[in-house]
Amino acid sequence: MKTRFLFPHKYRLIGWVLTIPSFVLMLLVMHADFSLSFLQYGGNSILGFDGEKFLFGIHRHNFTDEVGSLLLIAGLLMIAFSREKEEDERTVQLRLESLLWAVYVNSAWMMFSIIFFYDTLFANIMTYNICTPLILFIARFNFVMYKERRTLKNAGL
Amino acid sequence: MKNTIRVGRAILNITQAELAEKVNVSRQTINAIESNKYIPSTVLALKIARVFQKQVGEIFMLEEGD
Repeated sequence: MKTRFLFPHKYRLIGWVLTIPSFVLMLLVMHADFSLSFLQYGGNSILGFDGEKFLFGIHRHNFTDEVGSLLLIAGLLMIAFSREKEEDERTVQLRLESLLWAVYVNSAWMMFSIIFFYDTLFANIMTYNICTPLILFIARFNFVMYKERRTLKNAGL
Repeated sequence: MKNTIRVGRAILNITQAELAEKVNVSRQTINAIESNKYIPSTVLALKIARVFQKQVGEIFMLEEGD
């Protein structure tokens, strides 16, 4: 069966290579105010931004977080949506089920956060939410695939 | 939905892996169909029937509640 809109299997490795460093980078950016000097555009400002809200209006900005999050999302997409080595119709079903599960869990977590967390903590959770749906999906799908393989191994004994 | 794939395999004397290869799916999928965890698509059901040289209805049958 043809599966559409998926990356070739080898992109999963590229995905991990992109994701791990950019995830670490984004953690440093978020929690340690880390920035890479070569991604600085214009002079340094004490505030870190000059009040402009749109790309073509800014005069100085450090693009570490932009580059980091773009690489992180690209990497996670490649891990999440690469074809399996043995891709068939059941893989498609398990993948879609996992995606549904991930969206439900992420939404439930968001609703919980909206009720219980405020201010910077909530802003941080929203920032993490850039990648949590994909991370939840990857975790769930790989767990399901692992269980499938283990069932087969046990049945073979 | 029930199926008689296990019986069919025994008659042809082929393993799950061999059947999987013939119909171009993974072993996990054949295993999941045999243990009634997964209902194959019509295309896959027809392919399995072709391997066993039987009608689809002889291999896959509805159960109460379907």
